[in-house]
This record gives sequence, structure tokens and C-alpha cells, in this order.
Amino acid sequence: MRGLLKNNFYAAYANVKVFSIVMILLGIFVVAMDNKIPSLIIGYLLLAMIGFSFNSIASLRKESSTKWSRYKLTAPIKRSAIVQSYFLSLLLWLIVGMVFAGIGVAMSIMLHGYPFDRNTDVFMLFVLGIGISLFMGAIFFPLFYLGGEERNEVFLVISLLCSIGLVMGLSTFVNTLFPAPMSTVQIILGGIIILACALIVFILAYPLTVSLYYKKEY
Amino acid sequence: MENILELHQVSKTFPKSDFSLKNVTFSLPYGTILGFVGENGAGKTTTIGCILNTISKDNGTIKLFGKEMLDTDTNLREKIGVVYDGDNFPVYWTAKQLSEVMGGLYKKWDNSLFHKYLEDFHLPVRQKIRHYSKGMTMKLAIAAALAHHPELLILDEATSGLDPIMRDEMLDVFLEFVQEENHSILLSSHITSDLEKVADYITFIHNGQLLMTVSRNDLIYNYAVLRCRESQFLALDPNDILSFRKRDLQIDVLVSDGKDAQRKYKDVVVDHVSIDEIMLLLVKGERV
Repeated sequence: MRGLLKNNFYAAYANVKVFSIVMILLGIFVVAMDNKIPSLIIGYLLLAMIGFSFNSIASLRKESSTKWSRYKLTAPIKRSAIVQSYFLSLLLWLIVGMVFAGIGVAMSIMLHGYPFDRNTDVFMLFVLGIGISLFMGAIFFPLFYLGGEERNEVFLVISLLCSIGLVMGLSTFVNTLFPAPMSTVQIILGGIIILACALIVFILAYPLTVSLYYKKEY
Repeated sequence: MENILELHQVSKTFPKSDFSLKNVTFSLPYGTILGFVGENGAGKTTTIGCILNTISKDNGTIKLFGKEMLDTDTNLREKIGVVYDGDNFPVYWTAKQLSEVMGGLYKKWDNSLFHKYLEDFHLPVRQKIRHYSKGMTMKLAIAAALAHHPELLILDEATSGLDPIMRDEMLDVFLEFVQEENHSILLSSHITSDLEKVADYITFIHNGQLLMTVSRNDLIYNYAVLRCRESQFLALDPNDILSFRKRDLQIDVLVSDGKDAQRKYKDVVVDHVSIDEIMLLLVKGERV
């Protein structure tokens, strides 16, 4: 697994390096601005989490341009371990995104005070970022092996759009479940429902991806 | 003699292609090099794919180290080194990063041996693979394949990007590798002169079908081509003819025993020919 994770890290490294620099500069800008425009912080939070996750799955395209996808199968690793490493890498990059988002929002609060109306808003933003990232991975990985690596770009866009759609759909469901005005407990419960759904779909996508990968020939 | 690799009646069809692998059977004994020869699209890479489980075969059995290899048999794959033609590794890696990844994949990865090969092959450690020449990428792949102490090397056109001098050096590396009696090499190549230098056995494949497996010595010393006129050709015993090809007024006939043919057909010119010409006759020639 160590070798596979390193492989995934090197695949994502170049893009993530550029993205990290952009996020640091953007973070400085967001923190430097007075928090009268909360949409800036909202955008930064979501971009950090979704962006790092997106970079992680987009890096699969780089491998498929060489014979490495085939070569890897001749190494002493199981196909399931390869898939596992992709899922794990996505989670690790999501954590990096959460750290970026956390630092950004913490700095902004420290310098300018709390920018949102309710205490639960930051939590809900993290729920959105994590939910979209997990759904995106859960949709992309099976598609990657089902539809062929050459359609990678289309699947990236599809998975991103579908994941946003799913989180929006779940938010609507939560809003229907707990009509306005929602209590703090209801908001947290709604967030947990969205997170749980994303996590369940993410976990279920793993055996599905493995079974599709076992059918792939290189 | 025990075999490190055995294929028995291996078949594979592709639904969207006319090509199929038909009942391929051959074996690779321990301590030997088997040359795998065939034209482009003959089925060499498909066969290697079936051996390495990157392609699932339809029928037949493949035994590596006496055992059918499943996805879970990672211990068997520890003992196999592989080199494909072209880019084996992501081009954004450096040799150092390659070493780090491989070190995490193979239990027996030998970093010092890998760096020794890098030095011997004059490969820069910190340069990205995308800046390597084709020959350098092939040398890197060979170094990586050898650096985890494999017992079986499977090389798919591994010498194709190398110049003659470097090819010769690589062939020496392969010959040194098989000095260990439990080491073997399956070497698929278009460059038949390489096989003439190092292979103990040569297997010919054409259009997904195995034509024959012969020892190199047999090919060099016994196989021959009879240069016949039509009247001489008609007088030949059909049992002696492996294949024949008409060329203007001459008919070239491949036989498995040149000395015997010389004795039987005194007025016919008998030439000992290269593996290239034998392959041409087998592939393009007709059968009786």
C-alpha cells in the first residue's frame, strides 16, 4: 500500500503544488478582506475541500497515458489494493483540503470575528465540502473503470456535477424533513444525514469499483 | 527438465476484433531463454498479457513456478520482472521516485542494486523520465525489472528502442541473469538477431497460432532453405517440406534437416539462413 500511495501522491503532486499556492494566495486575500462578504469565505472553504479532492481523482488520467496501468498489475499487489489506494488517497487529499479550509476560516474569525448568522453555518459548509468530495469519488471511480480511461475528463465533470446535485438534493430533503425555522439540533442532524449518505455511497462504491476493475483487461 | 512457465492450450478471443489466440502451448524450462517471435499483431503481447493476468484467458492453463497465478498470488509476482515496450512508468517520475514507489511494492526491492544499474546504464537519477530518450526509458525499465531479484523475466520488445551497442550490453545482462540455474527469460522481440545471440529456444507465433518451438541450435545448424526450380520442387518429398514460397522462377523451401535434404536432393542448393528468413517462410509461405 505504501508504494501505491506514493504512486498516487506523485501523480497528484504537480497539480496539487500549483493548487496549494493558489489556495494560499487566495486564503491570504480572503483573510485580509473584512468579512462583510461571507461568500468569499464560503467559496474558499468549498474550493479548498472540493479542489484537493478533485485533483486527487484527476491524477488518474496521468497514469493511463503510459503502460503503468498495465505494469502495476504485474507487481505483487492485488487489484483491490490498487482501488483501495485511490479511495484512501482521495480521503487524504480531502483532509488536506479541510486543513486549508479550517486554517482560512479560523484566521478570518480571529481577525474579523464570526462572519455568519448562525454558529452551525461553518459546520454545514464543511458538510457540503466533504459530502461533495465523497460523492464525487464514489461516482468517478466506478465510471473510470466502466467507461474507459480515455473518457476520464467527461467522467470528472459528470462526477463533480452529480455530486453537487446529490448534496443539493439531500439538502432539500433535510429542509423538507425539518421545516423552517430549524433548531440547531435539527441543522446538525441534517448535516449528519448528508455526511452519512455520502460516506455510505463512498463505501459502497469501493466493492463496485473493485468488481469493475477485475473485469478490465490491459 | 522442469519448467518455470507452462502454457497449455491457451485461447483468447476479443469480441470486437477478428483476432484470437488459438490453443497456444509452450513451456520455458528453468535456466533458459525463450525467444518469442512473430510479426506485429501475431499475438505475442496478448500471450504475455494472459501469462501475467493483465488479460483473462478464455481457455487453457498457464502455470508459473508450477502454479496457476491468481490475482491473490502476490508472492508469485514477487518473482517476476516485466519490461514492456515504450513507457513503462509515468513520465513525470524521476528514477529516484520510481525507486521509492517500487520499494513500496516489492518486498525484495534492492535499492543499491537499482542504483548500481542506473550507474552502469548511465541514467540520471533526478531527471524526469519524460526527458529520457527511448533507449534510456528501456534501460530504466530493465533496471527496475532486475532490481527486485526476480527469477523470471518477461520482456515484451524490451530491446526495441536500443541502439546495437546498448542492445548488445543488455543481452549480456540477460545472459548473466540466466547464469543462475533457477532464472529464465521469456523474450519477445522483432529483432531476431538478438534471439540468435541469446535464446536457447525460439517460439514462432503467427495470427494467434503457435507455429513451432525449436531450439536455437536446431534452427541454426539443422533448419535450412532449399532453393529449387519448379521441377526440383515437384520432386521433393512433401514430408520434408515445412513451408515454401515462390519467388519469380525460384521456390524457397524450408526444411527441418538441411543435411538430410542435401543428401536426398543433390542438385538442389541448400542454404542455412537467418531466423528472419525462417520466420518469413513460416509466415508468408504456403504449406503442402
